[in-house]
Amino acid sequence: MRSALSKVLVTMIAVLALVAAGCGGDGGGGEASGEPIKVGASLPLTGDFSEPGVAAQQGYTIWQETINANGGLLGRPVEVVIKDDQSDQNVVVTDYNALIQQDKVDLLLGTFSSLLNLPASAVAEKNKMLYVEPAGGSPEMFSRGFEYLFFAQQATAPHQADLFVEWVNSLPDDQKPKTGAYVIADDPFGGPVAEGIQKGLEAAGVKTVYSEVYPPETKNFDAIATAVAGQKPDVIAQGSAGLEDGVNLIRSLKKVGYSPQQFFQASTPSFADQFSNAVGIDNTEGIFYAVSYDPAAKTPGNEEFLAAYRAKYDTDPPEDAADGYAAAQVLQAAAEGVGSIDDQKALADWLHENSVETILGTLSWDETGAPQQAFLLAQWQSGDEEIVRPEDSATSDTIVNPKPAWSK
Amino acid sequence: MTQLVQVLILGLLIGGVYALLASGLTLIFGVMNVINVAQGALFIFAAFLSWTLWKEAGIDPLLSALVTTPIMFAVGWLMYVGTIQWISGKPASMSVLLTFALALVIEGVSGMVWSTTSHSATPGYFASSYRIGDFYFPKAQVYGCGIAVIVLLALYALLRGTWLGRAIRAVSENVSSARLVGVNAHNVAALTFAVGVATTGAGGAIASVLYPFVPGSHYVWISRLLGIIVLGGMGSLPGAVIGALAMGVSETMTATYVSPRWATLVPYVVIMVVLLARPQGIMGAKLREDVVV
Repeated sequence: MRSALSKVLVTMIAVLALVAAGCGGDGGGGEASGEPIKVGASLPLTGDFSEPGVAAQQGYTIWQETINANGGLLGRPVEVVIKDDQSDQNVVVTDYNALIQQDKVDLLLGTFSSLLNLPASAVAEKNKMLYVEPAGGSPEMFSRGFEYLFFAQQATAPHQADLFVEWVNSLPDDQKPKTGAYVIADDPFGGPVAEGIQKGLEAAGVKTVYSEVYPPETKNFDAIATAVAGQKPDVIAQGSAGLEDGVNLIRSLKKVGYSPQQFFQASTPSFADQFSNAVGIDNTEGIFYAVSYDPAAKTPGNEEFLAAYRAKYDTDPPEDAADGYAAAQVLQAAAEGVGSIDDQKALADWLHENSVETILGTLSWDETGAPQQAFLLAQWQSGDEEIVRPEDSATSDTIVNPKPAWSK
Repeated sequence: MTQLVQVLILGLLIGGVYALLASGLTLIFGVMNVINVAQGALFIFAAFLSWTLWKEAGIDPLLSALVTTPIMFAVGWLMYVGTIQWISGKPASMSVLLTFALALVIEGVSGMVWSTTSHSATPGYFASSYRIGDFYFPKAQVYGCGIAVIVLLALYALLRGTWLGRAIRAVSENVSSARLVGVNAHNVAALTFAVGVATTGAGGAIASVLYPFVPGSHYVWISRLLGIIVLGGMGSLPGAVIGALAMGVSETMTATYVSPRWATLVPYVVIMVVLLARPQGIMGAKLREDVVV
């Protein structure tokens, strides 16, 4: 009799435990409880990269609020700890060491730009911690054989403009550019983007008439614009990181009075209002760029992200905020896929084997952590940013070509 | 040939803007032996003020210098009274530490007030040029040079033609003797520092039109400005002008005829060569430090 009773009790406890585990496992609904999971990151909140850094911070914050409102990560609340690396390669190393050793964070998220992620990801790798970075597509990132590194965008820098090169090649012969000029920042991200375009267009028979690397601290592009204009190239492509370089090249080209037929810039035109305000809205017409995020996209979770971002910041999210959110989504997917955060190696293995649905679309990675998808090709049209390729994601069915002259 | 002349024009024009930005720095060093590393952060701060006046009140950024100059004068005076005066007589390296801290504070405050997003004033003449024959003259740089000439002449007149100017020069040559003949060295130093900082009003106005800026933009500028005043001779106004023009021309020439990659390096090579031949800079006075100290 006694043993029968105890059997029933044991069975009941086991069933209850299973139900409880089931609730925790699905992560939806219910209050998060227990010790918070600490997720650490260092971002360039001040200094040269403060713009994308602050945007990424917003992305991380929105993710933290969204996940905590939905029952937390594996049933536990999430606390994102963010340090400021001042856009400095030395500080970012100190920060990640401190996050791991002093703050004892459970998980890491990456910082912004290839420049800062190069040293920061090495700290994570050395400590055998999963490192999902929201930006940092330089080929250098993926040539080091890291196991714990994942880049949460669609493609690496050399492939950023693949759809642009494809589009140029698809033009009828009489519209195809004959000559190209490449203005290349000495930057681990911007450089490979422009070099990727140059390689692609040269293969298509576009003759290179100017290709020069400039130091990233260049502000005055008057001399470069004068030299470029002297060659009268049909297409100009600029590879740089951040907002300013592209704005300054446009200003200088406008001062010289030279406008190419096709104009591609790596990251500058993705800065929405900041870009159009800085060059004047009329001068944005026809400029191409590659972008990872489209606010109008029907990707899973995007609606929720948009609503939360708009409610908190009263504007549409910049690309960099979306990238931050997506990186956190990748981290979340790995934790939920494995069902535990105790084994960082298991998290990394899971990501190598699976693809993840993010607000940027589905992402998957090769063995170096380089993503295997393609960026969207976007163009400024009548003062708005439009996606023009691939066609099934396009928000505009026309492409402005050739680019009109600069405004007076 | 056309291109050579065009590149020279561009180099001289940007050099004029550099001269404007370097003038306050060299004045403060010449008189007070203070290396004001915060000068860059101050003119970015002034650029934010100009931007605000342009955005909110529609005042042309260049006209706004009339408003921002007195504000920056007051900021400079407060900085001196609040901090700089406590290190007077200390080695110049102390001033580097102190003013670098101030630069970080100013950058932080600018970030809190205006956020870290990029700002640019875009009045009608931004990114456009005057054209004469085959040549083009970017308007913002032309106006910047014009303002530089006005500010530099005003500074020169102040130093050479007023009692205050005589007092400033007296203090810069020998503090003890200046005190002996009745110059209030403390007040003169406060005024000099304030005047030096006031020049960032005009500098910031031009900077707000020239390039987009964020609170952290000052780092790129300050190293170039320090290079300019070292080249020209620290403390010498005409030296700052010559140094600035040399920097502007060598930068643009290198970017065009060698490679943009070398454009930021060559000016420093020029500085090294000049300093090897003339350690005091182009216009710097030779000091007998053994006697002065």
